[in-house]
Amino acid sequence: MKELRRNMRAIGTLLMVLFICAGAWYGVTVYTQGDTWASDVYNPRLARSSSDRGDITDRDGVVLATTDDEGNRVYLENTAARRALSQTVGDTAGMSGAGVETFFSATLLDLSTGLTDRLSELFNDARHVGSSVQITVDAQLQTAIAAAFPSGYKGAVCVMNYKTGEILAMVSLPNYDPYAVSSDSEEGVADTAYLNRCLQGLYTPGSVFKIVTLASALDYDPSVVNQIFTCSGTWEYEGGSIVCMSGRTAHGNVTLEQAFTKSCNVTFGKLAYQLGAERLRATAEAFGFNENFKFGDFVVYNSSFPGEMRNMNSLVWAGIGQGEVLVTPLHMAMISGAVANGGVMMQPYLVKNITTSLGQTTRKGTSSAYRQVMSSSTASTIAKYMYETVKSGTATKGAVPGYTVCGKTGSAETSDDKTKATNAWYTGFLFENDHPYAVAVVIEEGGAGGNLAAETAAKALQYAIQYVG
Amino acid sequence: MRTQKKVEKMRRALMRSNTRLLLTAVVIFQALAMLLIALKPETASLQPLILAAAIPLTTILVTNLMGKIWPVDRAILILVLLLASVGLIALSDVCRSEETPRTQAIYALVGVVAMFIGAGLIRGLSDWKKRAPFMMALCALALLTPWLPAPIGGWYEGARNWIHLGPISGQPSEFMKPVLIVILAAGFSNRARFTRCLPYIAFAALCCGILLSERDLGALLLYFLTTVLMYYVASSNGALCAAGLGMGAGAAVIAYNAMPYVQDRVAIWKNPWSDPLDAGYQIVRALAAIGSGGLFGMGLGLGMPRSVPLYHSDFIFTSIAEEFGLIFSIALMAVYVLIIMRGLIVAMNARTSFHSITAFGLVAILGLQALLIIGGNTKLLPLTGVTLPLVSYGGSSLVSCFFSMGVLLGISSMNAEDEARDIEKIALQEEVRL
Repeated sequence: MKELRRNMRAIGTLLMVLFICAGAWYGVTVYTQGDTWASDVYNPRLARSSSDRGDITDRDGVVLATTDDEGNRVYLENTAARRALSQTVGDTAGMSGAGVETFFSATLLDLSTGLTDRLSELFNDARHVGSSVQITVDAQLQTAIAAAFPSGYKGAVCVMNYKTGEILAMVSLPNYDPYAVSSDSEEGVADTAYLNRCLQGLYTPGSVFKIVTLASALDYDPSVVNQIFTCSGTWEYEGGSIVCMSGRTAHGNVTLEQAFTKSCNVTFGKLAYQLGAERLRATAEAFGFNENFKFGDFVVYNSSFPGEMRNMNSLVWAGIGQGEVLVTPLHMAMISGAVANGGVMMQPYLVKNITTSLGQTTRKGTSSAYRQVMSSSTASTIAKYMYETVKSGTATKGAVPGYTVCGKTGSAETSDDKTKATNAWYTGFLFENDHPYAVAVVIEEGGAGGNLAAETAAKALQYAIQYVG
Repeated sequence: MRTQKKVEKMRRALMRSNTRLLLTAVVIFQALAMLLIALKPETASLQPLILAAAIPLTTILVTNLMGKIWPVDRAILILVLLLASVGLIALSDVCRSEETPRTQAIYALVGVVAMFIGAGLIRGLSDWKKRAPFMMALCALALLTPWLPAPIGGWYEGARNWIHLGPISGQPSEFMKPVLIVILAAGFSNRARFTRCLPYIAFAALCCGILLSERDLGALLLYFLTTVLMYYVASSNGALCAAGLGMGAGAAVIAYNAMPYVQDRVAIWKNPWSDPLDAGYQIVRALAAIGSGGLFGMGLGLGMPRSVPLYHSDFIFTSIAEEFGLIFSIALMAVYVLIIMRGLIVAMNARTSFHSITAFGLVAILGLQALLIIGGNTKLLPLTGVTLPLVSYGGSSLVSCFFSMGVLLGISSMNAEDEARDIEKIALQEEVRL
């Protein structure tokens, strides 16, 4: 019995220690991380905090969202503009989780204000007003692009400044009216309208991925530019075959440049095979595929490139951006931006300024390089090829009169049996020092990339020159 | 005879005075908290008002009634009732419908009856070792009942630990906790040599196997740890228990590799923000709730505890942390610690090793269960689906916990009687000497 008591005392002590550890852990984590947890994007309590949310303004200071005297949230008056900016700005109900209203909830409410400030506000009977967030997006530009987007289609247009990384427009269709959400009924909100397709749309890139395959080939062996490839319209290999989009007419003997401008699948399949899975993956990962993007201003889904390729078929199809390759429109704009920027991919950012209600700037968006994703000579070769593509290749409709435009089209297959039209892709940039804008367009089931997507991209770049300068 | 009465009177007076202050404080807390809920403008209704009167009255009544019948440890009794009332208060506060707290109040009344039964059984029956085979059969069969075909048994959210008999449903693994502890205590009492204990350990292993087949991993972990602790206490065989724990860890590694479900749990625990909208949803929401609660809580009815899935059962601690804050929640943990300490005193004062080990087992499983779920709620440990004993919503768990505490109280009353007999003996000797 004596021993029994001794053992019980020991176990009792152990239990006490465990309880003290659990209590200490609980206390310490709440003390050190409690505020972070509470200001988390996913904390639904923020939506009904007692303080007034600060304003959201665009790059020119246009007020996109503000709080009126009665404490109601007010968005743009113009319905088309309000809808065009819906997923970017967000809504009070937090339905569009990627929007500024949700992602910067804690900032807009300024939960981090000290206790003394709160107390003084309490005594002065002043409502607490949170910080204002100015974003890099141009409201006029985004509205114009949304209006120019082919009606009836779903898709996204992303425009960014490839020298600074500023995001200038993030159009995603269908969109919604933030007022329709804040009232209880969600009627009239289209399916998937809450999605910001620029950030959360993972698409098969199709031929726009050939930029990456080309970069890989040029980086590993610059002499590949002199190689002549033979395209007979189809290429049968062990375990599969690949067909050129213009299946009926073979491209014949082509140089690498011709293959790129005409978007020859056979050549790029062969190129991928020639490179091998390892090299192609290494380049894709240098470009940001398979990377956990943490850009700070928003959540962007991660692009993926197959990690393990079971056979030649997967490698060949990966080389032309089909199969398991997935990319977001924003990432695609970053890729062509890197081509324009001498191989340096810029880190995208959305927040220009954060200012407290007292006018103090607490944060300023600054541009920083994400990384050098390819050599500058490779970048200039690709830029030249993309220029030729717009001039005489598949992307002639992407031209903007009076400006040097480089581009690449893509028509991504999304069904195995061709029952659905292809997703139309286009990515490109203005090769102009004064207008350093990159664009990526995806139109779901929009057919070949050279038509609707290229036209939309040309308009987007034109508007960018017009509204942003 | 006169001396005996006098001694008895003195002892009872001593017990009451020890706990009168505690009882008063608990009753005031219960009444005030329920009144606050009753006076919330948006939920003006009668039920909280009724509870505001019923809970304190029941607490006083049960404490005095049980204390009158048997000389139980009133501190434990009052603290057990306090925990159950904290559960009722939290549920009245956070649940949208009034049905949840109402059901829980009915369960609590059933639990109080079970507590009396538990105390009566442990006091009234003896020869527990002879009853062990019968109890083993009962325990194993009860644990197997969820394997009965639907509508009695059936898979529910990846586990098979419920049975439904008409309008009544329950979790056998909850009810069998005290039974297993009594079986093991009977087997381990009177010098626990390994060979003699082996059948009982094998039986515990069998129970764990059954629970594994039903994917009731929370209960499995509790059964396993309690068995190891009880065997250690009874046998002092540290090496063997360490080996047992090692085997358990090995089994956990195998389970981790074999069951994707376990891997998910661990991955979510490591970084819930990797998938905040799906897999990590629960814990991300729970941490947001705890963080919003801060030191003093958001106040009764002012938070949004319902944003956390299972806010009333597995995550009741989170709900309490949000509404009442860090200080109150730590105090709640302290109540468990106090029950454990008083319970261990009961275990150490017991006259037979059977009663001693039984009391210890009951205290150990209570402590372990509270630690597992509080740790899971605060991201200290991966989440295991066990209830916060006596507080979480759920009939099986509440009634079973009350029953277990009844057994513990029964043992405490036997201790008190033994002590009284000792005092009486000494007094008689004194009288004879005079």
